[in-house]
Amino acid sequence: MTGWTLVALAAAVRARKISPLEITRDCLARIERLDPRIRAFITVDRTGALARAQALEADAMAGRWLGPLHGVPLAHKDLFRIAPLPTSCGSKTAEYFVCERDATAVMRLTDAGAITLGKLNMAELAMGPYGDNAHHGDVQNPWRMGHVSGGSSSGSGAAVAAALALGALGTDTGGSIRLPAGCCGIVGLKPTYGRVSRAGAMPLSWSMDHIGPMARTVQDVALMLEVIAGEDPADATASARPVDDYLAGLERPIRGLRVALADNYYFDGVAPDVARAVQEMARALERLGARVEPLRLPDPQVIHDVSGIVARAESTVVHTRILRERPHELQPAVRARLEVGERISAHDYLQALRLRARLTREFVQDVFDEADLVLTPVTPTAAPALAEVTAGDGEAIAARMGRFSRLTRPWNGLGLPVLALPCGASLDGLPIGAQIVGRPFDEATVLRAGHAYEQATDWHRRRPTPP
Amino acid sequence: MSAPGPDPARAEAASMAALIERAEADLAIAEEPSRFAAALEAGAPAGDRREARPA
Repeated sequence: MTGWTLVALAAAVRARKISPLEITRDCLARIERLDPRIRAFITVDRTGALARAQALEADAMAGRWLGPLHGVPLAHKDLFRIAPLPTSCGSKTAEYFVCERDATAVMRLTDAGAITLGKLNMAELAMGPYGDNAHHGDVQNPWRMGHVSGGSSSGSGAAVAAALALGALGTDTGGSIRLPAGCCGIVGLKPTYGRVSRAGAMPLSWSMDHIGPMARTVQDVALMLEVIAGEDPADATASARPVDDYLAGLERPIRGLRVALADNYYFDGVAPDVARAVQEMARALERLGARVEPLRLPDPQVIHDVSGIVARAESTVVHTRILRERPHELQPAVRARLEVGERISAHDYLQALRLRARLTREFVQDVFDEADLVLTPVTPTAAPALAEVTAGDGEAIAARMGRFSRLTRPWNGLGLPVLALPCGASLDGLPIGAQIVGRPFDEATVLRAGHAYEQATDWHRRRPTPP
Repeated sequence: MSAPGPDPARAEAASMAALIERAEADLAIAEEPSRFAAALEAGAPAGDRREARPA
């Protein structure tokens, strides 16, 4: 399993070189062997996955192909409704999120032939950047046990990195796709707000939530995005804009693309090895013909703070019941974050939403006049030790959490497409990730630049050796 | 017996309120939340922009 990419595996199934049942059995065996220590899964659907694989194998034998993911085993964050499996959202309650229909994004993957292996561990209620979870176990970083996997789509990051699944869906409200992608050395895409339907997924903050793919290569992520993106009558915020052929666009050269290397905020307090890796990535893009220039961005701290106000207020409203009726079930850090939301006034929440509109308009006008893409690190350091970041009192932990996600959160407020991909290794060998940010709905250019970089480098080929 | 410390949730909400107070001064009356989605649509690559629907 460890050598396959999603695209290569789909092609091998199509060429009848490997059968869906064989791959699914391999994945399940790997999960059984490794997951008791990695803790990437909350629910493994062995019976359902094998039955589905068998049906897909029969289809393949008869020459019936459901779509581009025929026979590819995936797994998804445990906040997507996928009947009949329970949806805990990382909470103590097995059936926390009840919804009348399955998640649109998952249904689209299934319709394209994917197999669902099960549901993945996550930070409780998708609130937390590290991947620790008191109810379902702390997700371990497959590169080094005891180090954070990144959150909140922690199981998605770890499962893909450890080759337990070929790809996964995650969600991103303040960095929850990009942080685990960065920490686990895989690729994750937070699409433009509205590019992917949020129907059937637990909301955390409906103004800031994004659903996106996580996989081993940019090409894999492009294929998954192509399948899940697009209009959805079940989600009024899903854009009716046509979906690009992302895969076909990947091979176009990037010569002449203008790449801005963020000149303010994004390198403040960043570890030297992380800064070096991203700067080296900029040089690699230059060698591919891109024009890289430093650019001072409109103060990201403002949109960061505005996004925080909106996300806190909305998440408290969404999770009012558990906060009022069963607060003892919540981890202290989650409860503390929800309690902040109770104290945000309607005035401040609405002003934050109005400010967000203005800040986004100004950013798009000012920055994309000067550049086609913006390049930044994902996290200030490579994956820290979990014991280190969870030490001390609540206030110290919260401050650390804020610093860990300060480079990802501004992009949720601005709603722009952001690709996180590996671009280096820390002094002690852990993955380092970079963010490539593009114009609204210009996932095609973001993916193209990421793919060109991947073709010129080897960082995406590095694999952890899980325990 | 020592006095209880400051409520961290209240303190954080207060700092958020202070941020809004600083930033809201020059918000235009015409500004509204839905203009966020409009900004994204307007900022999409030109070739990809959808035709306006007839009224």
